[in-house]
Amino acid sequence: MAKREAPEINAGSMADIAFLLLIFFLVTTTMDKDTAFLRKIPKKVEIPENIIIEVEKKNVYKITINNKQAMQVRDSILPVTEIENLHKRIKHFYQVNKGLRFGSFNTEYPYYSYATRESIDAGIAEAETALSAKEALPDTDPNKEVQVEYANNLLDEWFKKDAVYRVFAKAEVNKNKRNIEMPEIDIKAHVKIEPFIGTDYSAYVAIQSEIQKALMQMRDAESMELFGMTYSSMLKYYQQNALEQTPIVKQYKERLDLLETLYPERIIEVNPKK
Amino acid sequence: MSKFKSNDKKAAPAINTSSLPDIVFMLLFFFMVATTTKDIDPMVKIDNARGEGVVDLTPFKQRSEVDFVYLGAPIKGDASKFDKGIAVQFDGILPENGINYIIQWKDMKYANKPSGYTIAKEEVVTCFKADEEVPVGILFDARKLLQDNDYNSIAYGAQEKGTGREYRIDNN
Repeated sequence: MAKREAPEINAGSMADIAFLLLIFFLVTTTMDKDTAFLRKIPKKVEIPENIIIEVEKKNVYKITINNKQAMQVRDSILPVTEIENLHKRIKHFYQVNKGLRFGSFNTEYPYYSYATRESIDAGIAEAETALSAKEALPDTDPNKEVQVEYANNLLDEWFKKDAVYRVFAKAEVNKNKRNIEMPEIDIKAHVKIEPFIGTDYSAYVAIQSEIQKALMQMRDAESMELFGMTYSSMLKYYQQNALEQTPIVKQYKERLDLLETLYPERIIEVNPKK
Repeated sequence: MSKFKSNDKKAAPAINTSSLPDIVFMLLFFFMVATTTKDIDPMVKIDNARGEGVVDLTPFKQRSEVDFVYLGAPIKGDASKFDKGIAVQFDGILPENGINYIIQWKDMKYANKPSGYTIAKEEVVTCFKADEEVPVGILFDARKLLQDNDYNSIAYGAQEKGTGREYRIDNN
């Protein structure tokens, strides 16, 4: 009888299996990245203790959280189980008066004003006159330096506003409009967090997270309307390529500045109570 | 004589091993990609807080624009040695004066940044990675110290909260 030899196993598909496994693991592996909420600490300023700066109640969104993680948000108690709704309330705080005019504002919430080409030009002109007036002061005036610096800062603010207004006016939806009005929330509007010394870090971070979520959602929605892409995608790109000087990085930076002006992140973190 | 031959002499065919390197390389690449190098050994126990919309700090790390401070109960040794049982870890050390060491440490880190490093002092982020049960009082102490010394950027470390997962808040 003929001698039977075992046929060699075809290993050609082994590579396919290997790649399949490789791709499967690549897709399903998650790596722990270092992630965080970025915040700024305000610059140290010397304020005499007897000066109390009054801020109207409508401009403050106050969140208090105590040692037992019980929260008070404005005038109501927020149970810890409902913290997931905090971002909706913050969005409401920012947006309720948007688009409304003086007289129809909800008086409990921050007012809006509307910047136009004329108002910005007038503002720049005024700031420039003020600056040259301060510079014309005699050198003997002890306050000259401070006053010039102040006038300079004011002018810078107007130039910044001018820059974001240009980006706003260039956006697709505004191209064919005349007298474009850029909404601006009251400069004093802010979110204020008052923790206690014993407040848990996780609860504090949860509040930060809800604020972040509210800002991101508002900016994303606005960005979609103006530029057809989200704020978060532009921000991600910008953060990864911040050091490059390509036109696209510059363009994204301008857009990010605009969106951050429309929905400013103004968070005041108050020193905790005992 | 026998009609049946014994099979003893016939050896089993050799298995083709030419694809073995593929498998080995695959494993190698997999581990190369999936491994993150640990900068320092943790000396405090940290359960991360959860949050949404967190910023990825990887680009900041690549540009060495971020310093990490770890807060939590110490893994080894006596927790009662530290204020409120919370140890603060700066790089590889757990100083006895806890959070008050922060300025000395930040100044040292900033002075040792590579040459050609142009970032301003107030732009260097100090990231707190704290256990979820750390009281915030200690962070505000650090915040005050940083503010007084013109380190104006901070970050609250948190892990992205997956869809539908709740914040981990213990309210008892």
